[in-house]
Amino acid sequence: MSIFYFLFSIYQISIVNSQLSITMATFTTPEKIGTTPASMLWLLPLAASITITYKATKLPTITARNFIKEVAMLFGSIVVFIIITALVLWALAWLITE
Amino acid sequence: MAERWEKNHTLFLLIVGLLAWFVPGAGHFALGEKKRAIIIFVTIVATFCTGLYIGSVGVIDRVVAWWWYVAQIMNSPMVAVLGHFTAGGGYPAYGRPNEIGQIYTSIAGLLNLLCIVNAVYLAHLRGTETAGG
Repeated sequence: MSIFYFLFSIYQISIVNSQLSITMATFTTPEKIGTTPASMLWLLPLAASITITYKATKLPTITARNFIKEVAMLFGSIVVFIIITALVLWALAWLITE
Repeated sequence: MAERWEKNHTLFLLIVGLLAWFVPGAGHFALGEKKRAIIIFVTIVATFCTGLYIGSVGVIDRVVAWWWYVAQIMNSPMVAVLGHFTAGGGYPAYGRPNEIGQIYTSIAGLLNLLCIVNAVYLAHLRGTETAGG
């Protein structure tokens, strides 16, 4: 019985080890992201992260409802401002090149 | 008496600052701001790990990308340990994933710097409030 438990624990350790190796491997090779317009969408999680951290340091008291509302408002304004800037730059580029 | 308080206060601020640097959010946690601490920890660690996932650990390069490394090390001194392993250039990092990874990890570091300053400021305010009355 004890040999069975010993073999079973070794089996479990090997499974955990292989899972860990797979997880670590994803951090040692870059993801496939091309220089496409869609790659710009990676700025959205970053903007969310900046917003959450900023609001976590600035709000006097943190309640779930208030925090989510404040984060959503700031995140929305950042995204809107980015879109406006992109449109202005696109229009400028169009005016210069056409 | 005032001199002793001043000395203890400076030491307290230093400890809070170091805690906040070693583990993101730990400075706020030490001040009893547990909700803030959890939010800061989860957000900064997630941002940093996302950067490593996208660009690989090779984005931490203290030789070629020194200025990015300065921002990245604000996450935690543990980044220096990672930097030690990646210094030889053994891990590939190139193109757009490298750019995105560097931006993510560096922004995470700068966000932690903001949190360190905020934690030290909160500790200072509490210290002066206690001393004042």
